Amino acid sequence: MDKHILDLSIEEIHEALVKGEVKPSDLVKEALKRAHESKDNAFEMILDDLALKKAEELDHVVVPKNNLFFAIPYVLKDNYSTKGIKTTASSNILNDYIPLYDATIYSILKESNAIMIAKASMDELAMGGTGTTSHIGTTFNPFDKAHVRSIGGSSSGSAASVASAVVPFAIGSDTGDSVRKPASYAGLVGYKPTWGLLSRFGLFSYAPSLDTVAYFTRDVIDARHLFNLLKKHDDKDETSLNVELKEDVEKKNVKNVKLLVFKDLDINLKDETLLKTYHDLLNRLKEAGMDIVEVEFGHDLLSAIYPTYNVISFAEATSNNANLDGVKFGPRPEGNTYQEVMMNARTVGFSNLIKRRFVIGSYVLYKENQKTLFLRAKKVRRLIVQRLNELLKNADGFISLAAPNIAPKFADATDKLSDAYVINDNYLAIANFSGGPSITLPIGLKENMPFGINITAKAFDDLNLLNIAEVVESFSGMKGLSAKEVDKYVK
Amino acid sequence: MSNNYIPTIGLEIHLETKSKSKMFSSAPNTYGAKPNTSVLPIDLGMPGTLPTVNEEAVKNAIKLSHALHMKIDHTLHFDRKNYFYSDLPKGYQITQNERPIGSDGYLDFQLDGSSVRVEIERLHMEEDTCKQLHYTDFTLLDYNRAGVPLCEIVTRPCIHDARVARLYVEKIREIGIYLDVSDGKMEEGSLRCDVNISIAKEGAKEFGTKVEIKNLNSTANVEKAIAYEIERQKSLLENGEKVRQETRRFDESKMETVLMRVKTDAVDYKYFPEPNILPIKLSDEFVNDTIESSYELADVKFARYTNVFKVSEYDANTLLKNRSLALLFDDATKTCQYYDLLIHFINGDVLTYVSGANNVFNLSGKHLGELINLVGENKISNAQARDIFKVIAKDNKSPIDIVSEQGITQISDEDTLKEMIKKLLDENPQAIEDFKNGKGRAASFLVGLIMKLTKGKANPALASKLINEELKRR
Repeated sequence: MDKHILDLSIEEIHEALVKGEVKPSDLVKEALKRAHESKDNAFEMILDDLALKKAEELDHVVVPKNNLFFAIPYVLKDNYSTKGIKTTASSNILNDYIPLYDATIYSILKESNAIMIAKASMDELAMGGTGTTSHIGTTFNPFDKAHVRSIGGSSSGSAASVASAVVPFAIGSDTGDSVRKPASYAGLVGYKPTWGLLSRFGLFSYAPSLDTVAYFTRDVIDARHLFNLLKKHDDKDETSLNVELKEDVEKKNVKNVKLLVFKDLDINLKDETLLKTYHDLLNRLKEAGMDIVEVEFGHDLLSAIYPTYNVISFAEATSNNANLDGVKFGPRPEGNTYQEVMMNARTVGFSNLIKRRFVIGSYVLYKENQKTLFLRAKKVRRLIVQRLNELLKNADGFISLAAPNIAPKFADATDKLSDAYVINDNYLAIANFSGGPSITLPIGLKENMPFGINITAKAFDDLNLLNIAEVVESFSGMKGLSAKEVDKYVK
Repeated sequence: MSNNYIPTIGLEIHLETKSKSKMFSSAPNTYGAKPNTSVLPIDLGMPGTLPTVNEEAVKNAIKLSHALHMKIDHTLHFDRKNYFYSDLPKGYQITQNERPIGSDGYLDFQLDGSSVRVEIERLHMEEDTCKQLHYTDFTLLDYNRAGVPLCEIVTRPCIHDARVARLYVEKIREIGIYLDVSDGKMEEGSLRCDVNISIAKEGAKEFGTKVEIKNLNSTANVEKAIAYEIERQKSLLENGEKVRQETRRFDESKMETVLMRVKTDAVDYKYFPEPNILPIKLSDEFVNDTIESSYELADVKFARYTNVFKVSEYDANTLLKNRSLALLFDDATKTCQYYDLLIHFINGDVLTYVSGANNVFNLSGKHLGELINLVGENKISNAQARDIFKVIAKDNKSPIDIVSEQGITQISDEDTLKEMIKKLLDENPQAIEDFKNGKGRAASFLVGLIMKLTKGKANPALASKLINEELKRR
């Protein structure tokens, strides 16, 4: 067996399985071994028995050529409901909570015979973007053996497991940038499809109007395969949309693609290494015939993304997590009245970051504040989306660096009031506002740490965006990057 | 300003509506099932579960809204009402705050011979909470009720009379039952009524302080509680005290309202649109088809019974107290046009029979109609119909078959009867003597003899008439 088989893409592993070069159990054993060896604290639970049993069962089945996901090991973020398997969303308030039902996404993967080998740690309840707030502690970035740099979040364990080549893909979730930002820090393709195309049934709600099933892969083709598998109308999700997506095959040709660059967004990018790689890429794309046009988005609207996101998502979050009260499931603390039980459960169950968000969320929903805060935020969201749609009327998407820098050090304080932070570190939520598809892919390394660009398109333009991303990927020289083989990519 | 106090009353009714599954969950909507057996993860508020809208419940709400003459919103909007309580599994209730499905309706009915109108502000859909069973040291929670579809119907503060309030509740209950959207059982909690009541001096520009009365388990108690509360508030004001804004409940044993809690500032429910359900557009066709498929209301039946069938208002009202008997009547009228006979038979014999504890009733309207036709056509007597009814009620056998099988007939032929009577009088000269001496009983004695002689087959009315005629002749 090729000892680096897990460093390959889904498509490549599938070929090896079809050719009989590797057995399902070999693959899964290797994945489990790597998971146990991983020092990144990426897993809530490694599912040795479950995964091996399934793999051994599949050893006796002829590998179907039309099912790319057959026997492919993967990791699921711990905020997807898995029947009979503990699911905590990395929060103490759900310690030992064992769900009674399967999330639709998990069901689809199970039906396709993909093998879940672990549940990934995450920022508590999918809030936070640092990978530091899980109840099992910080998740580390596999590219940084010294463990001083973040991997981002909230899908931190999912990102770490693909970056360290434990699995070729991992499911995360993306409410603001929870897949696309860690993808940049971990050198991965991170894809957030159009809101409503992938079922949210069984995904623990953070902010339903923004929550999207999203995932990490090693290359864009795999992202497309996964999209084809998971995009399915689901009667259990009232927001699941049944639409036929349009694909313009012309967009596979670089000459037929038009991308926008927002001048007032990119103006805050200061890191020379990142900028050089980014601009070199843009120049190569231009030379190849891509139409890249600079426009102004509007500084005020760009600055408004972050606070707008906070108001809307915290408001929805405080309501969505009101079910976590210690009465029906999860740890039940003592208390003389139901109020005491609830207060005690929530006092010990949530970390401070969560409580802070709930307090803000409640505050903006109070009758006297709704108009000036919550409703205004919703109005601003509409204005931002309106502006985006207006600009994308004559373009296929817009491109920028997914984050202004490589993964930050835990110790480094960011200037939270700078444009670089307020805008560039938080603009990705624009795709959650619009619901549109958005993809991050790696384009370079600095100090052996990866960074990526992001392209965001109009809602329902998933197939075209994936085609365009594949074109861009072919110009990036970073296809298939993994922390295990990072040396190969250093120029 | 006069010294008369005018009460102002508004009512909120929660009506549990019938449907196979719950409002936003596919768990079965059952009453009386073993606790916590009609429950899915969403009913416990488990993480990741999502609501799906029950079409049947929406149809029920449309039918009710239409019956209450409301404007029907053709787009469904749902909101979240956020609060923490032990009976609320998700920590919020999905309801319709901003845009109720029904708005601006009314209900007219008769009181003391004149028409009364109650204005209805809104009707909205929501989900029920779980049921709490309180014990001394603990509380048990039954999630069977969690998520059951509710329609909340809210009147404007337009009622000034306890009797109107009671009649209104009875009317809503009747409408729910006749549309077959609710069983309307107050004692089982499928119809719950909260009363808001204040009093103010006649001519006052503002309402008095509002008191809420909860947990009213019968329409009679609605009236009694309001009557008590009006007097209580009056005496407070007359003694120079103030009415506090509070929630009270009605204590049936003491026949008075008692304090539950004093209301401080209203709870802020932090309503916002439910993000897991996008607005749902209802087509005109869907709404119209739903309305057209509604069952006939009691008022419409009443008009038909009294105007077309010419039965008395009393009989019609008696029949309409029981929807299934009214449906039986409607069905029977397809084969039987002896409306008076039919309605009397249903209000009498059938009602007595179906009220019996273990009586199985399967008789079709068609067969009942045929039975009454036999009476109407003088082929059998009432007594015979009663006997046949008892035979066919359970198994729905054909009364015509029974009559022919058992040879049940009625002698209504005058000549045959006259022959028999003449013979009988010849044999009973004493009876003729008695009759002549003014003893009225003599005639009925003779009718009895005829009935005995014919084994009950003689038409009693005809026999009596002929006997009297013959007696006078002698």
